[in-house]
Amino acid sequence: MLFLDLTVNGLIMGLFYALMAVGLSMIFGVLRIINFAHGEFFMIGAYTYALIATSFGINPWFTLPLAALGGAILGLVVERLLIRPLYDGYRSWSFVKDEYAVVVTFALSLLLIHLVDKVIGPSPFMGPSLFSMQRISIGPIMLNGQKLISSGVSIFLLISLAIFIKKSLWGKQIQAVAQNRFGAALAGIDPVKTTALIFAIAGGLAALSGALLSPIVNPSPDIGSFPAIKSYVIVVLGGLGSIWGSMFAALILGVLESYFAVYVSYDYRDAFGLLILICVLIFRPNGLAGMKGREI
Amino acid sequence: MIKTLSISNSKLWRNRLKFDFWSLLIVLLLMCFLPLLDLSDYTLGILIVAMYLAIVAMSWNLLAGYCGQFSMAPAAFAMIGGYIVGLSDFHAQLSLWISVPLAIVGTAILGALLGLTVTRLKGPYLSLTTLSFAEISRVIISNSHEYTRGDQGLNVPSMMNDRLSYYYFFIVLVLLTGVFIYWLMRSKLGGFLLAIRDDQEGAESKGIDIVFYKLVAFTISCSLCGFAGAMYGSFSQLVSPEMGLLQQTGLVISMVVIGGIGSLTGPVIGAILVYLGSEWLREIGNIQMIVFAFVVIIFARFFRTGIWGFCLGLKQRLLQNHHE
Repeated sequence: MLFLDLTVNGLIMGLFYALMAVGLSMIFGVLRIINFAHGEFFMIGAYTYALIATSFGINPWFTLPLAALGGAILGLVVERLLIRPLYDGYRSWSFVKDEYAVVVTFALSLLLIHLVDKVIGPSPFMGPSLFSMQRISIGPIMLNGQKLISSGVSIFLLISLAIFIKKSLWGKQIQAVAQNRFGAALAGIDPVKTTALIFAIAGGLAALSGALLSPIVNPSPDIGSFPAIKSYVIVVLGGLGSIWGSMFAALILGVLESYFAVYVSYDYRDAFGLLILICVLIFRPNGLAGMKGREI
Repeated sequence: MIKTLSISNSKLWRNRLKFDFWSLLIVLLLMCFLPLLDLSDYTLGILIVAMYLAIVAMSWNLLAGYCGQFSMAPAAFAMIGGYIVGLSDFHAQLSLWISVPLAIVGTAILGALLGLTVTRLKGPYLSLTTLSFAEISRVIISNSHEYTRGDQGLNVPSMMNDRLSYYYFFIVLVLLTGVFIYWLMRSKLGGFLLAIRDDQEGAESKGIDIVFYKLVAFTISCSLCGFAGAMYGSFSQLVSPEMGLLQQTGLVISMVVIGGIGSLTGPVIGAILVYLGSEWLREIGNIQMIVFAFVVIIFARFFRTGIWGFCLGLKQRLLQNHHE
């Protein structure tokens, strides 16, 4: 029953991708820009978690929220210093907005990678696991405790995020700003605060994803690039700006990738994502969820 | 990035382009006299690599600065160009006379195929897709050990045996690229590209086939990158997947942004300054990418026209004072 094993392991990878991609998608939904430094939130989360837990010997469970806090603070700082000039103030950015966002976030990503490389060092090190890494088999499915526990944490986070967006007042404000920034401002919602909130959530979730994966992937300064590329594929697959679409697409990509790695070729498993991306762009440019809003 | 040039193809723009072209010629002429300073082979090598990056920067600027399409794959296409030359030497022992044109055509075809999917898309989609393409083509090349020898790289035959002739050869290459882009931007196509950059919907409403012209610009830009990569391979006699690292793309972008986006001379000035600076910072302690990423953020945030724009402003102020 290799098939079942692959499906479950693929779904678990999909959950970690979803934690990254949801933040990216939310930022796009509100600001219409892509954050090319999103992988570095992942990296910062993995490093904060591994560093604090190993050097101070704090229980990993208490370190997890600290990693999320680290990512959220980074998100807030990035928003305040680099992204806020895009929409705050009187100057019209309509013509240069995309360009500015691409150049600045891409440069930020390189800056963070090389800063960590210089300050902490290029060699990878492992974070402590939350649970025994020993393999357990549930019927035909081979898992380890870390994967099981952290996928439980991710499911909990994704569901609470969904409830937060759908039910809470802040979540409704986020929805309103995403639909119409100007209209939301007229209705008394502060778009600036809402955008800052979104960056904090996106940074925190990506950092948590990094922290949860750090016992499995051995964080090194450039660890963020592959999860980030996966989440670019996912947001295109799910339709940019659609939170549900990207959660769904993340699970699909995780499963498809794990089939591809075993049944077709392990070496080229990362190329498979691009193949999906290009096929989607050609055949279903509105994404799987069929959301409107893609500009063609 | 440059709001000042939004009057596409007007007389003002043509005059500015002409001025830009002449300053490029002056910069290259000054470069011709540099070897008189009795430079070491090492310094010459650095300048040659800087000029290779200048060609890549110019072709990225053709797409980003003149057409507003932010591709993330210039370094990847340079790597592919280099690998076409390397592979055809490794497997078929073709001479450079055949393999370099093959690299130009090959990257043009690949660029057109990628362009067919991405030029229909706007803004972030194009950057996203080209970024994934760049990373994944690098992974494919470094994983296909049986064809490309993976991370070890491939040997490429050289054309000349001393650095000085390579130096002048690369100056000629930069000049040819400059002349080609100048000719392109003076033609009707250049006007269309500027119109697409400044106002895509407006251009479309005037009957410009925006997808077609974006595709043309994308193909030309990719092919120029591939050509530059092939030439670099022949200079360094080695192509490796490291040529296609995202960090290289970052270096190219920082050259264009610091030098001045949307100009002919800017990318060349930027390439030489950034690369010399990066070698210097590497000697200090490998901090070049930290410094350049930071400088790029500052430039993009506060000085959006780069060094070239600063020079233009200075010239204008001087002229005004002169008239008074």
